[in-house]
Amino acid sequence: MTEERTYIGKRTPGLDEKDKVLGNVIYADDFTLPGMLHAKVFRATKPSAIIKKLNADRARKLPGVACVLTAGDVPNNESISNVVGQTTEVGLLEARHQVLVKNRVRYYGEAIALVAADSVAAAEEAIELIEIEYEEIPGVYNPLEAMKPESPKIHGDNNIIAQWKLRKGDVKRGFAESSVIVENTYRTPRQEHAHIEPESGVSWVDDMGVINIRIATQVIEHYRDVAAVLGIPQSMVRIKGTIIGGGFGGKEDVTAEVFLGLLTWKTRKPVKLTFSREEMGYGRQKRHPYILKYKTGASKDGKLTAMEAEIISDSGAYVYLSPWVLLYSTVHSTGPYFIPNVKVDSFSVLTNNIMTSAFRGFGGMQVAFAYEAQMDEIAKKLKMDPLELRKKNFLKKGSETANYQKITSEVLLKESVEKALSALGEKSKSTETKKTGRGFACSWQSYGRMTYLHDTSSAWVGLELDGSAVVRSGIPDLGGGQRESLRAITAEILGLNIEEVHVISTDSQVTPLAGTVTATRALFMSGNAVKLASEHVLDIITKKASEMLNTSVKELSLKNKTVYTTGGGSIPLVKVIKQCAAEGTMPQSLATYKAPFTDPVKTEVIKDPVFADFTFGAQAAEVEVDTETGIVTILKYASAQDIGRAINVNRVEGQIEGGAAQGIGFGLMEDYIEEKGIPLTLNLATYLIPTSKDIPDIQSIILESKSGKGPFGAKGIGEPAITAAAPALISAICDAIGVRIKHIPATPERVYRAVHDKN
Amino acid sequence: MDNFKYFKPQNFKELLNVKYDLSSAGFPLAGGSNLLIYIKEKSIRSGTLIDITSLKELRGIKKTGDTIEIGAAETISGILESKVLENELPFFSVSMRDFANPLIRNKATIGGNMADASPVADTAPPLLVLDAKVVAASKSGIREIPANEFFSGPGKNNLSKDEIIQKINIPVPERGSGIFLKLGQRKGTSISVTSVAVWIVNDSNKITGIRISLGGVAPVPIRAVNAEKAFSGKIIDENNITALAETLKEDIKPISDLRGSAEYRTAVSINLLKRAILTCLKTEE
Amino acid sequence: MGEKEYYNIKLTVNGKVVTGSVRAEISLLDFLRDNNYIEVKKGCDKGDCGACTVLIDGKATVSCLTSALQAQGKNIYTLKSLGSWDKLHPLQKAFVKYEALQCGFCTPGMLMTAKALLDTNPHPARESIKEAISGNLCRCTGYRKIVDAIEAVGRGEL
Ligand code: FES
Ligand code: FES
Repeated sequence: MTEERTYIGKRTPGLDEKDKVLGNVIYADDFTLPGMLHAKVFRATKPSAIIKKLNADRARKLPGVACVLTAGDVPNNESISNVVGQTTEVGLLEARHQVLVKNRVRYYGEAIALVAADSVAAAEEAIELIEIEYEEIPGVYNPLEAMKPESPKIHGDNNIIAQWKLRKGDVKRGFAESSVIVENTYRTPRQEHAHIEPESGVSWVDDMGVINIRIATQVIEHYRDVAAVLGIPQSMVRIKGTIIGGGFGGKEDVTAEVFLGLLTWKTRKPVKLTFSREEMGYGRQKRHPYILKYKTGASKDGKLTAMEAEIISDSGAYVYLSPWVLLYSTVHSTGPYFIPNVKVDSFSVLTNNIMTSAFRGFGGMQVAFAYEAQMDEIAKKLKMDPLELRKKNFLKKGSETANYQKITSEVLLKESVEKALSALGEKSKSTETKKTGRGFACSWQSYGRMTYLHDTSSAWVGLELDGSAVVRSGIPDLGGGQRESLRAITAEILGLNIEEVHVISTDSQVTPLAGTVTATRALFMSGNAVKLASEHVLDIITKKASEMLNTSVKELSLKNKTVYTTGGGSIPLVKVIKQCAAEGTMPQSLATYKAPFTDPVKTEVIKDPVFADFTFGAQAAEVEVDTETGIVTILKYASAQDIGRAINVNRVEGQIEGGAAQGIGFGLMEDYIEEKGIPLTLNLATYLIPTSKDIPDIQSIILESKSGKGPFGAKGIGEPAITAAAPALISAICDAIGVRIKHIPATPERVYRAVHDKN
Repeated sequence: MDNFKYFKPQNFKELLNVKYDLSSAGFPLAGGSNLLIYIKEKSIRSGTLIDITSLKELRGIKKTGDTIEIGAAETISGILESKVLENELPFFSVSMRDFANPLIRNKATIGGNMADASPVADTAPPLLVLDAKVVAASKSGIREIPANEFFSGPGKNNLSKDEIIQKINIPVPERGSGIFLKLGQRKGTSISVTSVAVWIVNDSNKITGIRISLGGVAPVPIRAVNAEKAFSGKIIDENNITALAETLKEDIKPISDLRGSAEYRTAVSINLLKRAILTCLKTEE
Repeated sequence: MGEKEYYNIKLTVNGKVVTGSVRAEISLLDFLRDNNYIEVKKGCDKGDCGACTVLIDGKATVSCLTSALQAQGKNIYTLKSLGSWDKLHPLQKAFVKYEALQCGFCTPGMLMTAKALLDTNPHPARESIKEAISGNLCRCTGYRKIVDAIEAVGRGEL
């Protein structure tokens, strides 16, 4: 039976879009309060040094300066890294974070002091008056060097702060049985989120003494971090999220929250802090650069027999989410293929480089570049069509992954590749110096957090007396339409007009905590929570209506603010609500959705399920390579993703297109370059992201297996949309020039070298 | 502490006087797309911003005799929209199509781009192959500096402290055709890795006149005199062009930086030069 | 070092005269935002992203690299000049209809660039649209829907 849906699967524009096109949205930096101070952060200009002298007296005395804070002013300056699930024997307890540098600087840009003043100009001037003397100490900037026992240590006595393994079957035997073996080393860049809105927030103390922080964040739960640093009860900190001008993981870790909390707590005044574009460059985490050594074997008829990999992640100077990112990489490292014998060893390594942490794709992207390149190379050796090869090895519903996890949803990879490729149409012709080529890549990407984290999301749904509905959910809206989907779900279930549903979101004081908008979990988790709560409200209404109409609940349906019986009877919804209210059975519900739970990972060898489910998809590209310059032009592009069920088609396409564009940037041009820990690409003139002229018209193809764990069978799409882009492009370039680029981004220079080193 | 003043001269004479008085502490402000960045980056901390945008002596694109005069404060968009250039010297306006992006083109000026003296200034190679003159004005008079002699180092030019660029004079070539090829790291808004301009006069397949200029391969935009010598008088075909273009190596001294290595710059400069010459010869046919 | 100098400034924003007193080096962007024209966004402050795009005497340009004092006496238009809640500008309608935005942070600049384009080229081809918006970075959408929306207005669809 195909159920008719009013809002699910449609192209409903979001309400906030009208405000966005009118310029009415008050983003984080647009907000001001009377008497507000302006903050600036004094940051290190050395990547590895001891602070010999720090003197802020002159800054403090500058007229207009309200306060200058250094490490000694911070109640709890050090905190232990939060890396649930990582084993403890790898020294992670030594890797303490510091809010402000007390003694040792570990990366360029690390925060040393905070200034709040009555104007931006005064704050900037105060920053210049802070005197500092460093003693430089040896640093380590290459993860391979950092792994050596004799290398300088960033924290504790081991730079390897996390390692994970996959062990399945016997790779020795697997390779012995292979008729082809492909061995390669791949490298991926440090990618910057480059959201257009800088990190920003405003803090104040309210009349209950609560520290309020209105900030652009993907995680309102950081109020707990602020409380921990200040040493005050968590109930005394409130984080109110704003509409976010782009996140992609960049606003997932703490950005300005703690600084704002400290300054407001000290001054008892409102404070604003907005990062400059340069500060975004060194004041916030990036995507981990990886070195991936892969060895893959296959039989003559194209069955994968064994895979062995070593994955090294440059995790920067502090731990952050690196162990988790690495866990994602490790689990996803096989690609969406069944391989009987697998041995993977992966390492998160500390260096004196810029911090690295979450970024859309979360470790799934680096490995996709490697596993897809390997598949293409095996196909080439076997002289087999690359899709044929993949078809023989795709995971299926019910197959077991290398971490012994059963795939519980449909795997529409074959369909995805075929649709993406056929969307490219006729192949364009090559000329002498302009070679065209085609390629595709598959990906799998989990949605939802690791199941051992026992992830939950709560939501409250209630009906007003006039029949309109209110949804309360803590989730922030990153522009992906997170709130919009919740509205659609409630409107669908309660038979309401979508305009009659209001979503209150992202406020730790008034909305039930929904968890982060990260890990492609928002729709999956909060969608399910809102669905549960809405269904419960529907139960309350139909139960009451059945009493009032003297019929059984089964015969009732709710539509157009009326409860109908199958026999043709009806009663207005508002009457039922009034009756509920009169009897004290309020039509409201607080529901908590629990993701599938598993036991914590106990060893470095991952041998239990860690994810709820996966999204599978494929991307395909046609490129033209100018062999005289190395310039790559993308002529055609398509991305096909099985998203289970589209809640809002517009939004899904938006994710698919936007994800592909970021992935194209990762594959072709984006590279945050550091030279011995000094960042060189601190603005958008040197850190290049794609412009409208670099991105072709991306064709988005939506497949709906309705087999996901999200509401109505939806899967997640935020992250999966980015994963296969780089390998698809590299495969197309390889088709054009006959050489595989193993170190991305494939800049014109790298492509040029590839063309000419071949000749 | 930054300390800036603003001054808007009412006429040309006042401009020259104030520039004389302020000397190197007076910064001509036209589009601001360079100057405001230097102020924000704090590489300039104090001085007087001399607003030159509305002085008529620095505006306009017109043809006087055989010379096209472009006011220093004309924007790149103004150049792209100029009917005079479209009719008399389309090569130059076409060359400006890949300058930054439309937003910046509405702001950046030809005088500013030249005065900034970036090795990859996109106005420079086309002006160099046109033998353009930078008209420098000061209280003590006017002098013409050949575009090719205008730059003295990265970010440095040969204006004296009391001089400003008033206009750029381009002698309209009697014959020939030109092309400007720019290689950036992405397609929209890119800073050149290297760029090549050529102007060719071709007589029954033989190159009788050639001027070649490059950006991004030396401390300043340069004329490639060795390559010019090699090509002039030659009949070009697929077989000899590579060897001839290789002579460019004697003209360029590229460095390795964020945007490309010296080897890559050398290789693509040669390739771009070949492409530019072949394209020109085709249009000449 | 001495006191900083301030200069009187008077310009017209969205048809309304705005006056103030500014330092020499202040950008038009900072001046506008300080005067509550917060619909003009600061994404990079270096001319690299286009979020701060406004129209100055009809031309779209970045306000972060425009000296406020140079805007003296000029007509400035920001996003707020386009349409209102009850009467969206066709471009605004198209952006909503085609979902030409996600986070919306690039949108104020993008719309002003699109406005300037349509003012001079009412029926632009896709390639001209892509050229026109190439100084306006969008990190969310991949641009396709933005180009679709502008193209639709050019076709007279909205
Ligand atoms: S803020 Fe002006 S271009 Fe980015
Ligand atoms: S919609 Fe987010 S930057 Fe364009």
